Amino acid sequence: MPALFLNLLKLIFLALIYLFLWQVARSIGRHVGAPQAGRSSKRAGEMVVVRSDSIAGQRFSIGAPAVMGRSEEADIVIDDPYASDFHVRVGVQDGAVLASDLGSTNGTYVNGRRVTVPTPLIKGDSIQIGKTILEVR
Amino acid sequence: MTRSAEAALLVTASVVAAFGTALIGFTRGVGLDAQVALTFIVFVSSFGSVHLALRRWAPSANPYLFPLAAFLTAVGITEVYRINPSLGGVQRWSLLLAGLTASAVLFLLRGDGVAALRRYRFLFLTAGVALLLLPLLPDTWPIHGIEANGSRLWVGMDIPGGRELSFQPGELAKIALAVFLASYLADHHLAMGTTRRKIGRLDVPPLGQFGPILLAAGAAFAVLVYQRDLGASLLVFALFVGAIYLATGKLAYLVVGGGLVAIGGIVSYQMFDHVQRRVSAWLDPFADFSDTGYQVAQGLFALGSGSLTGSGVGLGRPDLIPAAATDFIFAAVAEEMGLAGAIAVIAAYALLVAAGFGIALHTRDLFRKFLAASLTLVFAVQSLLIMAGVLRLFPITGITLPFMSYGGTSLLANMTLLALLARISHGART
Repeated sequence: MPALFLNLLKLIFLALIYLFLWQVARSIGRHVGAPQAGRSSKRAGEMVVVRSDSIAGQRFSIGAPAVMGRSEEADIVIDDPYASDFHVRVGVQDGAVLASDLGSTNGTYVNGRRVTVPTPLIKGDSIQIGKTILEVR
Repeated sequence: MTRSAEAALLVTASVVAAFGTALIGFTRGVGLDAQVALTFIVFVSSFGSVHLALRRWAPSANPYLFPLAAFLTAVGITEVYRINPSLGGVQRWSLLLAGLTASAVLFLLRGDGVAALRRYRFLFLTAGVALLLLPLLPDTWPIHGIEANGSRLWVGMDIPGGRELSFQPGELAKIALAVFLASYLADHHLAMGTTRRKIGRLDVPPLGQFGPILLAAGAAFAVLVYQRDLGASLLVFALFVGAIYLATGKLAYLVVGGGLVAIGGIVSYQMFDHVQRRVSAWLDPFADFSDTGYQVAQGLFALGSGSLTGSGVGLGRPDLIPAAATDFIFAAVAEEMGLAGAIAVIAAYALLVAAGFGIALHTRDLFRKFLAASLTLVFAVQSLLIMAGVLRLFPITGITLPFMSYGGTSLLANMTLLALLARISHGART
């Protein structure tokens, strides 16, 4: 076989390899970029305090990750003696709403179960911080 | 929609495989032959069966896992076939079997998914340890260990007709151990993550919680001593330490694990010849070029001569590297497909690992979350260890490069691993 022909085949083979990777990248791009009809309606938008001695009824919108806790320096101040100063971080990460416990003393509960790893939230979930309960809407 | 994107990607990967086979035909001067069609048919049937199984039993599973695996297998099988056509032929049949096995796994888990495995924790632990130690069976038994290249990591089984069926049980052990770990950690991660004391800036869990790590260290050391299998030993230990760290987030486990590796490394370097040879070949392969350093040095020559676009499949000399079709497949790819091919391969591994950890992140149920993370971890560590070994960033560990190396057990185990990941990603949020 002439060398030129074989060299051409070699480059076509490499082009094919990169065609595959490009196809994957494009497909992932669509997957991530497209608003997903079924899911967007379930995407959590805000949290409402449904049980608390002092701040019941307050609403907090969910956007960039925000720290919730008892400290005045927390992004969202939770007035609850059982909450830690910096208790839990809630916000949108990688397209999902995640709640990450920040090593709180009394723990963070999602739907009644203690969570220790970042946990995705959807509409209807409840988050308990100390004695305060918030609902995701 | 996701499934049709998957089908399109699988077709492209199959075309890559067929084109690779055709290239070899051209360089050998035989032109297009039946082998090209055979490769294409095997790829389409194997991954096609998995695709249909996913459509039926896990329709919302991640659509990128199997296409990426098909792509890696395509590049790998091209190089295996180029190095030794008869091995390439065997690998095709293994691929068919692996595809059917993955489909069967998806069928068996169609009901409750992987959650069904959680109850059988100790069955999986026993199976994992037994598989790991299986090569120690005496040579005279019907099922017996096989010693090859100074390591004992194969098991042979006499089958009727005076022939022998051989497999590498360690490849399957990693899956069984990952299932055990995920189940154990789902129940115990809270206790293991509790810290009351501090040493310096490090939170330290109660001493009793280090039990599983010590157990893993013992098993890993036994594998290193009796089977002289550095790869499986490191892989099992990294799986335990990594999974415990992922589940608890406590740095103390990584520190203790790293310390044990350092101690184990120093002790085994002093005690064992086979470890010493690996380390000296890593530090300076040219010091003893003709003997201990030969394989690593030939691998480096292959990497160097590959340049940007490689010599072209069939036009290099990857056959000069010992174990080119298995441990050193990455060097063979880099020689004949160049930096461009090698980077494409690394990108595909990175995407697979990212997909795996993504599945773990988006799964709520702890057992399935930890299982996805453990399986991805073991896959990532294995790929990294052997590629780093070939690139001389790490001593050679003698494990297969998932999906690319020649080896039926490896292919079967990794396809099963992906089937489990795919099943977890189906309905991940519940």
